Amino acid sequence: MSDLPRVLVIDDEEAMRESLAAWLRKEGYRVSVAPDGANGLAQMGEGSFELLLVDVKMPGIDGLTVLERALAAKPDLPVVMITAYGSIESAVAAMKMGARDYLLKPFDPEQMLLVIEKIVRQEELVRENEALRERIRQSAREGMGDLVAGSEVMIDVLELIRDVASTDSAVLLTGETGTGKELAARAIHSLSPRAYGPFVVINCGALSETLLESALFGHERGAFTGAVAAQRGRLEMADGGTLFLDEVGEIPTKMQMDLLRVLEDQQFTRVGGTKPLRSDFRLVCATHRDLPARVKSGEFRADFFYRINVLEVRLPPLRDREGDVELLAEYFVEQIALKLAKPITGFTPGAVRLLRGYAWPGNVRELRNVLERAVVISRSDRISERELTFLAPEDPVESLPLTLREAEIRHIQRALDAEGWNITHAARVLDVDRVTLSRKIKRYGLSRET
Amino acid sequence: MGRVPAMACAVVAANLQAVLGLPTDVVATQAPPPEAHLRARGQHDAAPILTALRGEALPPRVRVGVTALDLCLPILTFVYGEALVGGRVAVVSTARLGPRLGQSPAGSPENPGRLLERLAKVALHETAHALGLGHCRADGCLMVFSAGLDVLDSLGLVFCPACERQLVAGRQSLSYPSR
Repeated sequence: MSDLPRVLVIDDEEAMRESLAAWLRKEGYRVSVAPDGANGLAQMGEGSFELLLVDVKMPGIDGLTVLERALAAKPDLPVVMITAYGSIESAVAAMKMGARDYLLKPFDPEQMLLVIEKIVRQEELVRENEALRERIRQSAREGMGDLVAGSEVMIDVLELIRDVASTDSAVLLTGETGTGKELAARAIHSLSPRAYGPFVVINCGALSETLLESALFGHERGAFTGAVAAQRGRLEMADGGTLFLDEVGEIPTKMQMDLLRVLEDQQFTRVGGTKPLRSDFRLVCATHRDLPARVKSGEFRADFFYRINVLEVRLPPLRDREGDVELLAEYFVEQIALKLAKPITGFTPGAVRLLRGYAWPGNVRELRNVLERAVVISRSDRISERELTFLAPEDPVESLPLTLREAEIRHIQRALDAEGWNITHAARVLDVDRVTLSRKIKRYGLSRET
Repeated sequence: MGRVPAMACAVVAANLQAVLGLPTDVVATQAPPPEAHLRARGQHDAAPILTALRGEALPPRVRVGVTALDLCLPILTFVYGEALVGGRVAVVSTARLGPRLGQSPAGSPENPGRLLERLAKVALHETAHALGLGHCRADGCLMVFSAGLDVLDSLGLVFCPACERQLVAGRQSLSYPSR
């Protein structure tokens, strides 16, 4: 029974402590005992225990304090409180603090067995589940680069990416801003037979129509003012590889027609040129827009839509990816801390709660930005609530529709309050320079008493 | 220990011999130590009884106390029996195994045979502890922890192969002949 948890029994009554330890040892558990809270915490600091049995009422450091400190160090540690009949309220309080269960001493043997066995079984299931999820994640992750996923919904997406990658069909990636569409496009490319060819990106929303045309098709010398030399376009550069059109929904209708012709005839000319050019590429597009609705309203060509939407992969918003916030947070913090050479090892339980409870309207990109700020301003080895104050839920009374100005004032005020009105720190958190922040404080008349 | 029908001791002795292969003698009655009595709970703490049975040194043979007193541990509301693991001492009680031997109410659904069978199982279980065995999770093994009479009744008078092997080793540490 060497895979049974290592147990620590903390009780100031020797008879209770020793008889419980003796019973647990008979069951095959490896048991240590502590006569008081201080000794118990010291042992936890030195060794690793997988189950704690703690008496509620002890002189000095009592059971609730032991519980609080134990869970602060190891949030998933199962703790069972032992209580006498007169202190049931303490046991209930302990449950609210995170204890798994409580036992009334003296215990009914069947009751004790049930409680302990239930916890042991739960922990086994958690370990099995985690091991299984890790195997699935490993398998899904191979070739996925920075696409980190553990949630079922996202694992399904990774499986779909793997399936579509092996074809040469056009793929349309849809999803809210910041959900990882470019990463998914890169994963499709790296898993495809074209992995050794170029991966060429163009953000169609970032360029004017003229610049977009030139960027895509290239231009000949003299094609327009400023065209002092011929230049290859992205269509040429993508030959043998993958062309990724990000924000494809922003392409003007006329250019949609030109692109459609390219996709159908597989040939094109540069702007200002006459020589037909060919390029063999696989097309991947991405958009956060509702293209079917735009097709209906006439803003997007139906024939172009059907051409780019042979296969659709929808990237879910972060709020729908259960469990991925923590996974991604750990991944990002590790990367960022390494880059900034900061010794940050994880999160406090309060920080994890904030991360989990936030809606992440900006999705993964927002999460990464928040964490980068958090790492920069962190003063300890763990990210705490202090670095994530923006994520705390607002007072429901305040969540009425605000003007942009009101929202900005509130946001700045919160940042200043959180940073103790240290303008330099608050500016860093708000991602603006100090002068800009000072101007806004003056303009809005903000003060500590606002 | 205390007032126990001779039948109970005889059944325990017979089963220790037949199942565990331990030559067994029934010795004179011994009173439980006064410090074992928990007045507030109306029960007897098994731990001081085991200490008294053990004496100063490890006994050369296993000593099993049989009592009608209601046994408990400080941490448990009751126990059917208790032993020092590897300490060669055990104590078993009839108190919670059914109606009192010799005092079965007329028409009671319990019969003395059932009580004695339970007593035998508890004695074998605790004696095995005294020989160094821990609890077992193999279905039907006598070393499964019986939290209630339904579990106890579901067990046969058998140990699983792994526990049998440990019993052989435990017996070899005594001066009993092997089976």
